[in-house]
Amino acid sequence: MIRYILKRLLYMIPTILLTSLLIFWAMDLTGGDPVQTILPENATVEQQEALRESMGLNDPFFVRYFRYMGGIVTGDMGTSYVTKLDVFGTFMNRLPMTLALGGTALIISVIISIPLGIWTAINQNTWKDTLGMVLALFGVSMPNFWLGLMLMLLFSLQLHWLPSGGSDGIKYLVLPALTVGLGLAALITRTTRSAMLDVIRQDYMTTAKAKGASRHRVLYTHALRNAMIPIVTAVGMQFSLVMTGSALAETVFSWPGIGLLIVQSIAKRDTPMVTGSIILCCILMALINLLVDIIYAYCDPRIKAQYSRKG
Amino acid sequence: MSENILEVKDLVVHFETDDGVVKAINGLNFTIGREKTLGLVGETGAGKTTTALSILNLVPDPPGKIKSGSILLDGRDVLQMSDKELEQMRGNDVAMIFQDPMTALNPVMTVGDQIAESIQLHQFVSSKEAFEKAKEMLQMVGIAESRAYDYPHQFSGGMRQRVVIAIALACEPKLLLSDEPTTALDVTIQAQVLELMKDLIRKRHMSMLLITHDLGVVAESCDDVAVMYAGKIVEIGSADEVFNQTRHPYTEGLFNSLPNLRERGEELIPIKGLMPDPMNLPEGCSFAPRCPYATEACEKQPPELRHMGGTHYVACDAYNDPDFCLRRNSHG
Amino acid sequence: MENTNKTSDIKQFKGRSLGQETWRRLLKNRGAVVGMIFMILLVIVAILAEFIYNYDTDIVAQNSKAIFASPSAAHIFGTDQFGRDIFARILYGARYSLLIGVGSVAFGLVVGMILGALAGFYGGVIDNLVMRANDILYAIPNIMIAVVIVSLLGTTPFSLLLALSISAASSFARIVRAAVMQIRGQEYIESAYAMGLPTWKVILKHIIPNCLSPIIVQVTLAIGSNIIAASSLSFLGVGVAPPMPEWGAMLSDGRPYIRSAPWLCIFPGLAIMVTVLALNLMGDGLRDALDPKLKK
Repeated sequence: MIRYILKRLLYMIPTILLTSLLIFWAMDLTGGDPVQTILPENATVEQQEALRESMGLNDPFFVRYFRYMGGIVTGDMGTSYVTKLDVFGTFMNRLPMTLALGGTALIISVIISIPLGIWTAINQNTWKDTLGMVLALFGVSMPNFWLGLMLMLLFSLQLHWLPSGGSDGIKYLVLPALTVGLGLAALITRTTRSAMLDVIRQDYMTTAKAKGASRHRVLYTHALRNAMIPIVTAVGMQFSLVMTGSALAETVFSWPGIGLLIVQSIAKRDTPMVTGSIILCCILMALINLLVDIIYAYCDPRIKAQYSRKG
Repeated sequence: MSENILEVKDLVVHFETDDGVVKAINGLNFTIGREKTLGLVGETGAGKTTTALSILNLVPDPPGKIKSGSILLDGRDVLQMSDKELEQMRGNDVAMIFQDPMTALNPVMTVGDQIAESIQLHQFVSSKEAFEKAKEMLQMVGIAESRAYDYPHQFSGGMRQRVVIAIALACEPKLLLSDEPTTALDVTIQAQVLELMKDLIRKRHMSMLLITHDLGVVAESCDDVAVMYAGKIVEIGSADEVFNQTRHPYTEGLFNSLPNLRERGEELIPIKGLMPDPMNLPEGCSFAPRCPYATEACEKQPPELRHMGGTHYVACDAYNDPDFCLRRNSHG
Repeated sequence: MENTNKTSDIKQFKGRSLGQETWRRLLKNRGAVVGMIFMILLVIVAILAEFIYNYDTDIVAQNSKAIFASPSAAHIFGTDQFGRDIFARILYGARYSLLIGVGSVAFGLVVGMILGALAGFYGGVIDNLVMRANDILYAIPNIMIAVVIVSLLGTTPFSLLLALSISAASSFARIVRAAVMQIRGQEYIESAYAMGLPTWKVILKHIIPNCLSPIIVQVTLAIGSNIIAASSLSFLGVGVAPPMPEWGAMLSDGRPYIRSAPWLCIFPGLAIMVTVLALNLMGDGLRDALDPKLKK
């Protein structure tokens, strides 16, 4: 298993290099001249040129690129045009906020969706199934930033139960986490239902019942454990949606995570911050995907065996 | 203690689907004696698997509904049992072996755990003890104990079927229901698995209902035979009676359609026609449309099982005529 | 031998092509029918809006006499901070969502299908290239691709369309490749070759028709999710920018006034939700109609 993880990490490197190359190149094209923001306005052209030379801005593209990538290892990805702060450091500071948001949203969604998905599956084609599916359908069709605004409207501005922005405590996490979590819950409910329906049909379910296992045991030990495989797969595939969803929720509720950071940096044309944040995000996504794959391998012993033996 | 471990009386099972009512079982009657093996023979669609599931009261509902009848397992009516009683009975008093070993096992549990689960459901032992017992069961079916930690996908078809047998026998049930246990296996493995089953059943003084469409298997392994057609028993008796003194035209047809090694080069004689649509069963005898001996009376009135001597019963009104005799038997 | 029995049994079943069967089942699904009717109406509205409303006077002009009017008979959905009728803007804005949604999926479908089919069918180097490219795109969330492209090309509907096409192409390539690889290994393909069919005919007559079901379902659902993506990006300022009445941009516009004039935010979002709901109903209905085994 360890060897599989290491192999995957190794495999990740060329992908990340290519990805960051693309991003670096694209952002490079958009321009933005750091020299303008560093030197005072009345600096002469010679002074600007001199600074460019010393900063290595006139070097060929690939030299600049590799220098930049090298910077990632040392933690130096340039400085923001706007805040003059270190890009890498700023990103790392804001990362825990987004992880907290994403993590809470995930927990909320799982608590709602898996029981709901199971309930609709075992009551297939009854009013309970229809109710659950209608709710899930609405949840999946709703743009989550609109949901956030509506939640804010109701719970914050009308009822004054919860704050509408900021980050000073758990209270502030509730609405943003609900915003991301409810949409995710709708999706997972649908996936759970179809996975359970598939599994319930299988022959080993009859075997379990013929052993004298109770309904409860049959459902959880046999059905759900097998259904988890496609559920984890589906959730894993949608993980980038969680990222996007977090960015939107952070924007609506002014939650200081990396999503909001990127959005604000784009608005302010802070190229180094945008470039650095996106590349770091991609690395983060790749690591999360790897984590999902490991969880998936644990759920399905057939895959686990494949990777333990081959290494 | 009754003489028979199982008595099925007038069982009627329907499947109520959107397209119509499927009359899967229409008045089924048979018994299995203690330490006896009954072979249940019939074509696909005759209702054999449904019969086995009914004995466990596991017919999927919806769409299946047991409409009437009784199934007495060691004197107690299965169809009247509560859920709790059923859960206690299944696996412990009656166990079932399924047709397709490739899909009968849970892919995410080790085989050891699956066998141990059966034990833990019915006996008050710790999980460690249950797992130890599971290993013993594996050995008994001819699989190395160390393999208890492996997953089903790591076994071949024949070995998986042995695991299924181990699960079924783990709690020492009195009756084993085997639904085409060897159909999905290679021919060479078939013989091995059948031998194993016969051996274990003998050693443990068990009864067995062996469902199959293979007459050879029946001849090898069964004390008694019941022939099923369109949800009813048409002929039942000891293996000797049914094989050597065949009475029902359908049974005759089954034997005739077997290729004969000694007379190679002869044309095969199939039974003409198809099995009736269970949503649309004919009024009288279900076999009448295909029966070479059928008369008008056959199409009006379904025949009752009549005693033909010994333990032999046949459902055929042709025997109203005392001189009636199948062609097979008239050749001596 | 006796064949008459068999033919009389078969005569009972009327022959129906796969397409007809699917259509018939689809029509039985009330939700899907409602969804389809809604979408047709929406398309009509989007086309007619050009003629009913004049872009300059109705959509972007500023009518300071009627700012922040709450919903009433005159203005069904109220007016915004510039006095513009929100109902009119929503109807007009349908075109952006539809064009970007359908356009990005159409473009992505064509590119994705070609790449996926080539990768799945020929395997080898082509497959490797396509999968690598896919992996890279997969590693970058939707929003980031859009950010990069929009940074390059500006906040126009076209750059949004391009960005969403790329991710649509990526997902279609994946689906088509998987379907092709699965079908390619089936025995009926081998027998087609054994019968002497040339490769292109095998692809056309056997492989592609069997890929269609997952693709059709995915197309409907992808349009819906791309509409949400487009509006999300516009909301964040990385998509269509004001004053164009794109629904997501309208929400971003109305956000500062949510306390005093919530209808600025309620209705555009509602429009997005109802549209995507209709598409999802259609997509689900198609999925059930194409493979009824899954339902029961």
